[in-house]
Amino acid sequence: MIVQSIEASRCPRCERMVVPPAHYCPDHPVAMEPATVPGVGEIVSFTTLHSPPEGFKAPLHIALIELEGGARLFCHGQETRGIKIGSSVGVESLDNVFYFSHMSFADRARLFWRRAGAGGEKFASITKSLAKGLFRGRSRDDS
Amino acid sequence: VNNVWIAGVGMTRFGRRDESLPDLIAEAALPALRDAGIERPDALVVAAMNPEEFTGAGNYGSLINTYLGLAHVPTVRVETATSSGMAAVYAGFADIAAGLHRTVLVVGGEKMSHMPTPRVSEIIGRSIDPHERTYGTTMPALAGLITRAAMHSRGLTLREMAQVSVKNHANGARNPLAHFREPVTLEAVMQSRLVADPLRLYHCCPISDGAAAVVLTAEPAAVRIAGIGQGTDTMALRYRSELTSFRATQAAAQAAYAMAGFGPERVDLAELHDAFSPFELISLEDAGLMPAGKAGRATLDGETALDGRLPVNTSGGLKARGHPLAATGISQIVELCLQLRGIAEGRQVAARVGLAHSIGGLATNNWVTLVEARA
Repeated sequence: MIVQSIEASRCPRCERMVVPPAHYCPDHPVAMEPATVPGVGEIVSFTTLHSPPEGFKAPLHIALIELEGGARLFCHGQETRGIKIGSSVGVESLDNVFYFSHMSFADRARLFWRRAGAGGEKFASITKSLAKGLFRGRSRDDS
Repeated sequence: VNNVWIAGVGMTRFGRRDESLPDLIAEAALPALRDAGIERPDALVVAAMNPEEFTGAGNYGSLINTYLGLAHVPTVRVETATSSGMAAVYAGFADIAAGLHRTVLVVGGEKMSHMPTPRVSEIIGRSIDPHERTYGTTMPALAGLITRAAMHSRGLTLREMAQVSVKNHANGARNPLAHFREPVTLEAVMQSRLVADPLRLYHCCPISDGAAAVVLTAEPAAVRIAGIGQGTDTMALRYRSELTSFRATQAAAQAAYAMAGFGPERVDLAELHDAFSPFELISLEDAGLMPAGKAGRATLDGETALDGRLPVNTSGGLKARGHPLAATGISQIVELCLQLRGIAEGRQVAARVGLAHSIGGLATNNWVTLVEARA
């Protein structure tokens, strides 16, 4: 799995990140600055639409994802089997549409080593998020 | 600030109606004026969420004042998505409270059922953030996301949600103007078809036509508007950190209680915006009528039923009375007035203070209104 970098905006006043990029912060009438966030996050919630609007095929899987850094975004997915609120997912952009995919155990481990090597200062937070992910992954396998 | 009274009410039967929107609006407005004993109000406020798309007509305030024979009455048209009706009540309230006029007719309605359902859903769905709509999100889709999150974080159950629909259908069966007048069983709700997992068809309000009207006056009448508050939130759901309660309702409720000078403890009955049945439970807590996490259990225990401690949606709510968009907020006030005046035949409860709660869009522009019977 390749972690994509996702274009975002940051509010210079409150540091809020939004995806996709926006001109103005929703909380402050000030111009936002360009930023990027990694395409890795957690499921906030999801649904499957059985009568989607025109132009979409049923069943339509839609998830709201919170990316590392706090920005949330809507994604499509191939399926929601095995997905729970709090599941770790990877997010990719194809033709300007975001898709989420379940991160396997191996994906999460690879991500861990790649990023641990990239920068020591992020090590602690990554370890924490990974430990959380592994814990969730294990409890799911058990259930 | 002058006191503002509700001197007259009127509404049409909600449901599938063949009449035009101006005809429906007249059917609600003229009886409301008669009820108030007024032929010509000083001002007119018209609420319609999207008559441009639903009916092809424009300049809607002028269309309605001319149609009603009130062509020379100053008129504004008001819109805040699905809470447009309550926004119109607010506009009328502010007009009289400020002393600009003595009598204001507030009327709202929508006519949609002549269009195919997917088209109606698409038009209503335009109240969703444009970027989020490109993902196929509809109002039920966003409500489905919120419902799943509420089940996860607040322990909301499918049974509690289903009981809201059962109760509101039971109330609707007693309201001759309701869209649905048949009771439903818990099993029927829980087995109805999935719309936006975990939401099922019987958790969702129908597409209804209809209109409702109130006449507001500076002259004392049977019911007073004690407080009215507005609350807003981001149009984009992805900009909110909290999914399972609505900041817009909390802010509206706070403002309404502050204006009224009393709190939720004085509320005897409520009309809440149950466009999706879990929203009734979320709104009970957001409006301070139930402690956090208790609304579901209280509903199963019958506390919000017609004979409960705090009857909710005695009209049948959006689920059973129906939801003709801009008529809905006004119809909530109509129901509360009938209850406070003791003329809610077949569903009368004992009450002095009522609360109405209206959601605009996906809780982007909400209202809470408190009405009180004259002492």
